[in-house]
Amino acid sequence: MEGEGLAGLGISWPTLLAQIVNFGILFVLLYLVAYKPILRMLDERSRKVKESIDQTERVREQAEQAEEESKRRIEAASREGQEIIARAVRTGEEVRQQAQQEAKREADSLIVRAREKIQGESDEAIGKLRREFADLTILAAEKVIERSLDKESHRQLIEKTLDESATLKKN
Amino acid sequence: MPKKRVLGCSFPVLIGFAAGFVGLLIVGVLTGPMGKNLLGLPAWLIPAKPHPELPAEVVFHLFSFPITNSIIATWVTIIFLVGVSFLVTRRLTLVPGRRQSLLEFILEALLNFCKSVAGEKNGRRFFPIVATIFLFVGFNAWLNLLPGYGSILLHTSEGEVHLLRGANTDINTPLAVALISFVFVEYFGLRTLGFRYLGKFINVGGLVSSLRLIMRGKMKAGFSGLMTGLINVFIGVLETLSEFIRIVSFTFRLFGNMTAGEILLLVAVFLIPWAAAVIFYGLELLVGFVQSLIFAGLTLIFMTIAVAAHGEHSEESAHH
Repeated sequence: MEGEGLAGLGISWPTLLAQIVNFGILFVLLYLVAYKPILRMLDERSRKVKESIDQTERVREQAEQAEEESKRRIEAASREGQEIIARAVRTGEEVRQQAQQEAKREADSLIVRAREKIQGESDEAIGKLRREFADLTILAAEKVIERSLDKESHRQLIEKTLDESATLKKN
Repeated sequence: MPKKRVLGCSFPVLIGFAAGFVGLLIVGVLTGPMGKNLLGLPAWLIPAKPHPELPAEVVFHLFSFPITNSIIATWVTIIFLVGVSFLVTRRLTLVPGRRQSLLEFILEALLNFCKSVAGEKNGRRFFPIVATIFLFVGFNAWLNLLPGYGSILLHTSEGEVHLLRGANTDINTPLAVALISFVFVEYFGLRTLGFRYLGKFINVGGLVSSLRLIMRGKMKAGFSGLMTGLINVFIGVLETLSEFIRIVSFTFRLFGNMTAGEILLLVAVFLIPWAAAVIFYGLELLVGFVQSLIFAGLTLIFMTIAVAAHGEHSEESAHH
């Protein structure tokens, strides 16, 4: 090994300066072509990942909310349906009762009317029978007593008699 | 039943490789200094005696500026690193391909290293310099293991010189990186703490205040403070010295390891020229990695220490 001290180790100012400059050049170039773009890419990617995780979380929350909402709606709908059914049943019951009452009223009025009609008819029949009977009686009496009574007074007599009789009393 | 495999090879293939390796080893021993007199092997098989030199040789002059072979090797490293980075980052995609993944993996590992040591914000600030030191030192060491380094001879006016020489084995390179590391440490310290950073080195506050106490006549408090003040001044001097000693230790750690590795390889190749040196090449790969990691890691740690608010911290801990 030739040389003494620092020179023996090979320290030389020009080379030292050159290596410092070289390192500086490498630093700048690597900063431009490697660190800056790669770090930007890494940041971008981590941002994207974070974003997508957030989005997933958001979507999950939304799905949960939607499920909750639909459950609530189904519940409400079923409650409503039950209400409607109950109302319908009530209405049906009312309608039935109304119809029953109506029918009863109708039947009652029918019965009343029939009774009236029957009464009327029987009255008429009795009247008719009375008149017939009076005529017959007059005829028979004429035959018996051979004498014709004044028809009008006769009739009054019979009427009176009939009225007095218990069986054929009017009403 | 699958055949039994050893080291990923079927057994006969492995035997073949082993036999080839042993054969090369035997030829190596025979052509080395131990066996060259046993058989009369032709002279072109006998390697030349290595004579490692510490100073790098000047290959040519560029405008009277001497260009040594280590500078040329540095250029190769720069071209390699910048070229690869350029090719990869020319088209960056969000979903990376293989090459982009590799570069991203290396840089992300370094970034995470910086963040884990210096914290989120400072880690990002320190990352470019730490990564550059790591890549520069590491690839200087690894490219040195390629064939061609230390083996291509040029005939110049100053005699035969090697075209390429591992840049780390020229002491100017480690010294240059150590100086840059020093400059960045001090830069970040001053940038972050301002003049308070210098207080670490010129620590006379305690001494002055205790002297003032003595002047006022408070002898007891003054003298007890005087002792601490003197110790603080001494610590300041030590801190200052250690900043400069770092440069020396940085330089010689890397230079020594790399030069020793180079000489180890030369000797191994000289003693058993064939096959055996492969083991040492593997070793040197590891050494290159470790040395670059140490250089970058220590720089990172020194920068982290430099930006830590030293005075405030001790005051705070004193209150607790």
